[in-house]
Amino acid sequence: MRKTLWKASLFGLFLMGLSSGITVHAQSDPTGKKSITNTYAITNATVHTSPGMEGKKASILIKNGVILGVGENLSIPAEAQIIEGDSLHAYAGFIDAASRGGITKPEDPERPKDFVYSSPPDEIAGITPWRSAVDQFDIESSQVNDLRKAGFTLAHILPDGGMIAGKGALVLFGEKESTNVLKENTSLSANLNGARGMYPGTTVGVMAKFRDVYQNTKLTKDRMALFASANGITRPEINPTFMAMSEVVDSAIPVFFEVEDDLEARRAISLQKELGFQLVLYGLEEYESIIDLLKESGAGVILKLQIPDDKAIKNQKEDVSESVKAQYQRVKEAYDKTIAQAGKLAAAGVPFSFSTIGAKANDSMKALQTMIEAGLSEKDALAALTTNAANALGIGRMAGTIENGKLANLVLSTGPIFDSESQIKHVVVDGKIFDYEVKAKKKNGNGETASAEVTGNWDYTSETPAGSSGGTISIQKNGNGYEGTITYDDPSGSGKATSSLSEISVSGSSLSFAFEVNAGGMSISVDVSGDVSGNTMDGSMNIAQFGSFPISATRNPN
Amino acid sequence: MKMNTKYIFIALLLSLSLNFSWAQAPKGSVLIKNGTVLTVTNGTLENTDVLVENGIIKQIGQNLSAPSGVMTVDATGKYVMPGIIDAHSHIALDVVNEATSPIVAEVRMKDVVNPYEIGIYRALAGGVTISHAMHGSANVVGGQNATLKHRWGMNNPTDIIMQDAPRTIKFALGENPTRVHGRGNGQQPRTRMGVEAILRNGFNEAIQYKKAWADYNQAKSQKGNTAVAPEYNERLQTLADILDGKIIIHCHSYRADEIYMLINVARDFGIKKLVFQHTNEGFKVAPEIAEYTMGASVFADWWAYKFEVYYSTAFNAAILHQNGAITSINSDSAELIRHLYHEAAKTQRYGGLTDDEALAMITINPAKQLGIEDKVGSLEEGKQGDVVIFEGHPLSSYAIPQMTFVDGIKYFDIKEDSDDQRQRISPTETVEPILLSEENHRCMQDTEHLFETASALFQMNQ
Repeated sequence: MRKTLWKASLFGLFLMGLSSGITVHAQSDPTGKKSITNTYAITNATVHTSPGMEGKKASILIKNGVILGVGENLSIPAEAQIIEGDSLHAYAGFIDAASRGGITKPEDPERPKDFVYSSPPDEIAGITPWRSAVDQFDIESSQVNDLRKAGFTLAHILPDGGMIAGKGALVLFGEKESTNVLKENTSLSANLNGARGMYPGTTVGVMAKFRDVYQNTKLTKDRMALFASANGITRPEINPTFMAMSEVVDSAIPVFFEVEDDLEARRAISLQKELGFQLVLYGLEEYESIIDLLKESGAGVILKLQIPDDKAIKNQKEDVSESVKAQYQRVKEAYDKTIAQAGKLAAAGVPFSFSTIGAKANDSMKALQTMIEAGLSEKDALAALTTNAANALGIGRMAGTIENGKLANLVLSTGPIFDSESQIKHVVVDGKIFDYEVKAKKKNGNGETASAEVTGNWDYTSETPAGSSGGTISIQKNGNGYEGTITYDDPSGSGKATSSLSEISVSGSSLSFAFEVNAGGMSISVDVSGDVSGNTMDGSMNIAQFGSFPISATRNPN
Repeated sequence: MKMNTKYIFIALLLSLSLNFSWAQAPKGSVLIKNGTVLTVTNGTLENTDVLVENGIIKQIGQNLSAPSGVMTVDATGKYVMPGIIDAHSHIALDVVNEATSPIVAEVRMKDVVNPYEIGIYRALAGGVTISHAMHGSANVVGGQNATLKHRWGMNNPTDIIMQDAPRTIKFALGENPTRVHGRGNGQQPRTRMGVEAILRNGFNEAIQYKKAWADYNQAKSQKGNTAVAPEYNERLQTLADILDGKIIIHCHSYRADEIYMLINVARDFGIKKLVFQHTNEGFKVAPEIAEYTMGASVFADWWAYKFEVYYSTAFNAAILHQNGAITSINSDSAELIRHLYHEAAKTQRYGGLTDDEALAMITINPAKQLGIEDKVGSLEEGKQGDVVIFEGHPLSSYAIPQMTFVDGIKYFDIKEDSDDQRQRISPTETVEPILLSEENHRCMQDTEHLFETASALFQMNQ
């Protein structure tokens, strides 16, 4: 009997270790996953209830996924699990207004035998308005983990696909036991990209086809109405495209158009003006010249949460001709202009939110800090992450601020959220607590951050959906900086391939670098960051568009 | 002083890349004094002034004085000619070919105009103020084209589209559409006969489409209507618009037989607005082109780049012109567009055309083919103020454009413009050294040491 108890408590400890301490699991639950309470109190935190409100010391009471109270003198029920918030700042959970977190593109259907490239079936040509993002969503995807870790609690997920990809949905980045669906069928997702090797193959064809689909949906609706009202009417031809498009034609749901720059935005706006649907533009990266147009068009605006890579600027050389210097200057100006756009958009009074599609989740805070340095106010930045997004998605009633009755979606950070020193310690989604390791900054005697010794040969392994793989990372000193190489399984065949490392940087105990993998003629960039402790390194490997995967390495003494 | 402030204001706007969109295309005023004015339609006028006010040529005469606030340009010793018009170009387009169907009449090049493309500025530097931004030649019936006015510095595509130009559409015969669809994809057309069949079938379908909608619209208003709306089809609607004379066809063509084929198709369907492009064997059917069409737009001397372009002559333009066909010379190239005035001069070497006839090839004649000859293409009072000032006669080998005006606004000035005219720079651009003619120097590779002495001597004398 004693032995059994001993074993049980060991098992319990093991579980505690796995679940990082705070969520205590009931042992009667065979899965061991059920939490013993759904009531939490975050006590004495600096609470920023909504953008622009100064942080005030308060406690937050959460029960069954809902905020039950925010204030100084809350009575905390006995069943509440306490999270001591004394050193923490609390914000409303971030909202990703256009997300592909957890979305996997469905495989293209096979081409029929009688396939004709000039009039392909809609499904093959990328016209699939009946598809739902929910069917493509997997809460356990590493992208969801990354986004949640960056503070995103709720997302408007959009299906991946062709010119008319399908319907979006609102989901929570909550626990995997739930479907996490807040609302289905929230939008139609569209872009200007042509289908490969068939009609419509280019932007100019896509725009013509969009008009065609829209007008024929309208006509089909009229035919159906006539058919229903009288006899002697030819049966209207009903197809899934027109049925799924009819809510768009009725303006019941908006079209979320993916646009990168001002010209694409103008194209989407011109279609909107011509046809009359509700329009939201998402993914904007270059829009300075159309701020007035964005304002007057009334279209929703969702910016890509990313800033341009400044690699090219950092690599600009000193010893160059005047004409090259002048060109360098223009690149710098373009960079400064790009990062200042968000501030200008806010100053023009255009409410906007952010999309993480195509952006790296773990760089999102850095992107925001850069935009803030370039003129975006912290209030507007926070509004873009919370209230603006909630309002644009029609869920301002339930999300975006820390208030009684709202969804219990919170971000708890170790300092003011936009401070570069701050780290996110807990993310609350749907009343569930997710914990993240906070890394202490190691300081040396001078108050400066001491850099870890990273040179040498490291053997690493990494876990990706394709299985476990590994190789060698070799880093040497080069002047004030570092240089190195990495080997990995050659994606385009057998054996190992080698790439040289770029942007090797060491700060405190953290090491980061990047490299390029050539996969079938396509260059994929990979970012690695990790924590060095003696002869081991643990971290994550971020592969553009695919998400991040754990990596661990040990230094080879030889 | 007042005049200066206005000029400074405009100059400022231009240098600021016009950060707002214009409700209407910008228009300006300028007085060009004492030039040799090549009107093209009304001979050459020595020591003559051209006054453009609010975008329109107000007066051409001597001793004109500038109204208050209007800047004056001294053109003494220089040549003043109408802005050059290129009837066949693909600059400032983000997409050229929607190649995926033999007929894509529904696509609109106006949807994909890119006002930031540096080719616009380069064209201005060659005196070109208007280009015809065409769909490519992969389809029998390509997309609808855009006629552009080269207002460099705009960021709204609408502001560089010539809104008062009529609709035009691209057609293509011969090897390109048969290669893409027939040989490449096993679909009609595989031969020139197939091309004709596509055209005739297309127009017949368009007639039926138009009738179906007319019948429906008539039935709809009747009591107890049971008629249902036909399918919407912009492709067929556009073909119907061609049949109704609302759109000018610009047809890519090389061989005489296919040119004559399209003339016959057009006559059978009552189509009168037709221009042939390239028209390499146009000289063989010049009288027919003159009688039934709006003429031909050709290269000065460019051929033998594929089988159907072998039977060629540099006299093509002159022969077409002497047979009474409206003839223009085009570029179809972002490079040739910079010196169309040289291309026009070739009609003097090959065919002995007069100055006015040669200049008409790049001004009033392409204007006629684009349906804009009442607005541009010559220096006449009442026309739009598209003007180029040349150092040297434009048909001389030494001609260099100095300033180019569109609607009275200066968009190119060889002396005042800054070196880097790009409107868009990528914030992630790696600046690479630009090495001109690196390839051309291969023939002298490894001989550099032979020049060292000469070079040293040269530098000593400087």
